[in-house]
Amino acid sequence: MDLDTETQGVAKDGSNTQGVYIYRPVTSAKAHGERPSKRRKVQPEIKEQKSESHPFVPLLDGEENESSVELRYNAYRLLWSTQETKIQEILDDVDSEVLENVLSFVRSTSHLTYDGCIPTALITVGSNVSSLGRLLSKLNDQLAASEEGGVVILESGDAPNLKATLKNIIRAAVTNTEGNNGYQNFLTDREGPRLLGYDLDLLGDYVKRKGIKKLVVAFRDSEAFDPNILTDLLSLLSSWLDRIPFTLLFGISTSVELFEGRLPRSSVALLRGRYFEIHGASNCVDRMYERLQADQNGRFWLGRNITGVLFEKSNDYFQTPEAFSRTVKYAYMTHFFANPLAMLLSEEISVNRQQGKVCEAIRNLPSFRRFCEHLLDDDSTEQVRSLLENDEFLFQQSLKYIEIGQQRMRSIFHVVKTVYLCLKSMDIRKKLTIPDLSIRALSGDLQDSTYMDDLLKGLKTLDSSKLKEVLAFMPQDLTDCPDFQEIKKDFEALVQTYQGTEPLRSEYDSHNSIVAATVVQQRVKLSKSKARLPQQNIEYTKVIDRVYALSEKYFVETLVIPQDLFLHEAFLLDMKNPLKEIFSPRPRFAIERALANPFDYLMSMSDRTEARISARQPATAILYQLYLESGALVNVYDLWQAFYAVFESEQGDACDERMTMTLFYRAVSELKALGMLKSSRKKVDHASKSAWIGL
Amino acid sequence: MKRKQTDSGDERPVSTPKRQRTAAFNGSTNGHEDTETPVGASPSKRIKSTPQKPSTATPAALKESGLKTPTQKSKAKALFSTPTKSTAVSTPSRARNADRSAKKKSARLLLEQNDDEEDWDGADRLAEEILQDENDTTAAENVNGVVETVEGEDEANKTAQTPKRRAGRPKGAKNKRSPTPEGELPAHERYFFQNRAGPPRTSNNTLNKISLLTHEEYFEKMAQYADPCKDEKAFLLDVHHRSFPQWNFEFEQGYNICLYGYGSKRPLLQNFAEWLYQKNSSAPPSIVVVNGHTPNISIRSIFATIVTAVLGADIPSKMGSQPIEVLELLQSVLKSRSSQRPITVLINSIDAPPLRRAANQALLARLAATPKIHLLVTADTPNYLLMWDISLREQFNFVFHDCTTFAPFDTEFDVVEEVHNLLGRKGRRVGGKEGVEFVLKSLPENARNLYRLLLTEIISMFDEGHNSDDEMDGGAGRDGDGKDEVGIEFRALYQKATEEFIASSEMMFRTLLKEFHDHQMITSRLDPSGMEILGVPLPRDEMEGVLEDLVLS
Repeated sequence: MDLDTETQGVAKDGSNTQGVYIYRPVTSAKAHGERPSKRRKVQPEIKEQKSESHPFVPLLDGEENESSVELRYNAYRLLWSTQETKIQEILDDVDSEVLENVLSFVRSTSHLTYDGCIPTALITVGSNVSSLGRLLSKLNDQLAASEEGGVVILESGDAPNLKATLKNIIRAAVTNTEGNNGYQNFLTDREGPRLLGYDLDLLGDYVKRKGIKKLVVAFRDSEAFDPNILTDLLSLLSSWLDRIPFTLLFGISTSVELFEGRLPRSSVALLRGRYFEIHGASNCVDRMYERLQADQNGRFWLGRNITGVLFEKSNDYFQTPEAFSRTVKYAYMTHFFANPLAMLLSEEISVNRQQGKVCEAIRNLPSFRRFCEHLLDDDSTEQVRSLLENDEFLFQQSLKYIEIGQQRMRSIFHVVKTVYLCLKSMDIRKKLTIPDLSIRALSGDLQDSTYMDDLLKGLKTLDSSKLKEVLAFMPQDLTDCPDFQEIKKDFEALVQTYQGTEPLRSEYDSHNSIVAATVVQQRVKLSKSKARLPQQNIEYTKVIDRVYALSEKYFVETLVIPQDLFLHEAFLLDMKNPLKEIFSPRPRFAIERALANPFDYLMSMSDRTEARISARQPATAILYQLYLESGALVNVYDLWQAFYAVFESEQGDACDERMTMTLFYRAVSELKALGMLKSSRKKVDHASKSAWIGL
Repeated sequence: MKRKQTDSGDERPVSTPKRQRTAAFNGSTNGHEDTETPVGASPSKRIKSTPQKPSTATPAALKESGLKTPTQKSKAKALFSTPTKSTAVSTPSRARNADRSAKKKSARLLLEQNDDEEDWDGADRLAEEILQDENDTTAAENVNGVVETVEGEDEANKTAQTPKRRAGRPKGAKNKRSPTPEGELPAHERYFFQNRAGPPRTSNNTLNKISLLTHEEYFEKMAQYADPCKDEKAFLLDVHHRSFPQWNFEFEQGYNICLYGYGSKRPLLQNFAEWLYQKNSSAPPSIVVVNGHTPNISIRSIFATIVTAVLGADIPSKMGSQPIEVLELLQSVLKSRSSQRPITVLINSIDAPPLRRAANQALLARLAATPKIHLLVTADTPNYLLMWDISLREQFNFVFHDCTTFAPFDTEFDVVEEVHNLLGRKGRRVGGKEGVEFVLKSLPENARNLYRLLLTEIISMFDEGHNSDDEMDGGAGRDGDGKDEVGIEFRALYQKATEEFIASSEMMFRTLLKEFHDHQMITSRLDPSGMEILGVPLPRDEMEGVLEDLVLS
């Protein structure tokens, strides 16, 4: 407490020596004694929030007008909140089953049903580390709502020793329902001698007073707990079991066997319970992606590269569903924050919102250019002229084409979904995910991919019952068209008249060809097998052929390359980079690059071509480059000589040795702080090198 | 190269083992080099030589095989396998495999050798060995076309090089192998190149030749320094300033921010705080700044300050002594106040040593996961990401930005102190001559006399020319450790001290010395024979100055 508030870090030096302080601007002329929090309280807050309602800044060189900025911000808020609800639904859905099981376990068991053992739930979470936290908080809510008890969550950091662990358990249990003040009061307002914070009597008292039936103690990262503390804790808790209704819950990232192996048998014997499993994150992530991208009313999509980044991340290392959703959220944020065209996605957009600057921006789009060229090929010069000259017309057209583009994107994802469902139902591809297909579709090569071949081949061999199933999967755009209706009618008529128990098969079906093959072995002609097809099967084959032709045509039409759509810049985000750098940084690379090639960062004002090492570079960069050339052991004197030589050769007699030495000192100390130089005892005045560039 | 060739002409070692052994002994470094060659081909060879004296037999064998030319193959092989035939035969494939794997590198080394003759050394010889062995084995193994051509060149080289190799090192030649590999090696190759086994290949120069900086001088010089990249750095900072609104947006959307990259980010954070303040000047946000480099900063004080920022005057009288208690207090307060505006916490150098501990990071992660806390941290070291495992990363919920500033770490750490620490010269901290004199003034007569005696002895040792500077340059420092600190042996000093009635017992003598030790006025080390050598961590002129003052006073 002594470190804080009294700072008033007016003087720069003062704030530098301070470990932690509340920031006050240097320029502020206000009286020092006034605390910032006080001032804040005095201000009416609601008014303030109005005036600085959104954090977006005007784009287009700051010339974007306020209303468009607001449009973007609102569009973002609206869009993301709907997406977020979808994600939340999936998360809830994924957890619900386990939650249900755990809850019923907690409710149904007690030390009485378990012969005096502590009821214990073992939950393996695997890679899905965040799911346990969600589960526990929901469990707590449920138990608290029904006033049965609560959940105490312990992390390994909370258990440095037995006393602290007990204290934490008691405090958490009490504050859970009573709040922080309640805990303080609970400690002090007791009759009789004051108990210490780690006395389980306190907890027993609390349980009795509140009539708590279940007290769940959850060990989030059970592997990280010290087994000795855990052993002591378990024996202690089990001896209090008749007064405090404990239920234990262990989150296990490895396996139950390993968990058991770490504890002595006597402790394991105190526990009894069930084992639950939370499923891996990847399934959940796939579902989320599908919900976000292939939605019926989608307005904005993530492109191929971003999808790639997202799934590369979750394949390469553990990634929780939350982290996934945050990454997606960030992608949305970047789009609406930095792309002025994002305003076109707003629902409030209308023709009279048009703005000169935005039109100019549209005209600069590559997709606009392609669009115009396309129009010129069709000899619609008039239209191009008005697009170029008439802002109003352009804006109108843009809105129209955005709508069209969005429609096409939706269709693409419908196809993706169809392909997925069809392939699944035909059981052709074992490992097939929506994201895989989406990546293909977004890069425009789903049409030529093996998925499509498999699908179309599979389509031909379908029997009538399967075909019915598959036809149900077909996207609405396709089913709505008259050709399809007709086929469907014919097909239904055919099935109606057909009486056989076996479903109808086309001539492409392997069942028929198998027949043919056996016939061949008996040296009967192949053509006979076809002739033997009943009339109805031949009819059916015709239907199949029509379906095949129609769907192929439809797929070719629908699966356009998204980047070919006019104004795709507005509704499709496909930039790898901010996302990748933001969530998988490469700090070591950045530092090495800054030091090895400082002018990558320090954009030179004059156009000098730099020699490899020159005195114009920052001192640490010079030293680092010299350091790179040294062996594992560095003679500091020689390093200094080399460093000095750099300056000497450039500045000649004007070179101040002591000044250079000062710079050398600074550079050495920085390399040391970066962990690149360590002192060495091998030789006097030597340092050892501990980082190699590029490794 | 020519020089070496002529050198070698006369002392061609004959194939008698004895002669070779002497050759190996001639240059002690040479012997070293050879024992240190387990890179590729050695396994079988080492096994072979174990029954005999290992250090001598190995070089002999190596040398021998190095001698052979394709025509001598059979003979060479016979020699090669003499010591213990059985083991050599039993493991040829292993050796060969190892050879093959090292082959490529060897070939390159040999090529480089053409360019720079000074560079050759044991590793090169080994490289030739490997290639030679390759020749010995069947030609069918030479699948790799590239290697074959290289070998062709190598053949040519060999005729030129063989004599040179026999010469051993020219006397007094230093091992001048450059630590810098020629050309652009891939990163991992460079690592192995620079980490080759062997004695340190650095010169024996020490910093005694130059006088090190004191704090005063450092700051004085730094004040005069004009940064040549000032404009560029300012521009870089300006670029970062432009992302302030973006950071603000990220905060608002519930992310925390981590800035990394080279250079101190403290000024940047300061500016950000100011910007936040200006932006909402009518209702300034609460901003808490943490300086991670402050030596005795505690997590609890950070949390306590945040609580103060939230509650203002009505802080509870007792917050609890554990950081976790304070954190929970904070969380419950934030929860109970729905209208509470977010608190921005800026942490400078979250990877600084005082905060680096895993327990501290876990607590900070919890802070970060608290709603209404916006956390912006900066990290300076390249590997800071290793501090956080997946669950901490999850809690921190960071977005990362590369904020390379190139700003000096002037406030973060004490530059002079760091450098002297690195060099193991903490003693300099006492304050040199003035410091020593100051301490001496407060010591009793006896102690002062003892120090005078010590100085006299040491200075007289200087005068004997025991270790003058000239010698240091020429003498190629066979005794690298000894020369930087002249010292007097403990016993000898005690003897003198008793003679001069300074100390009557060893006990008393030690007590006096301890006082000096505590003030880092003397150094003590053990010499190779186990005797304790006492020295004074001052340059000679300062010693003389101190002595003068002692005698005069």
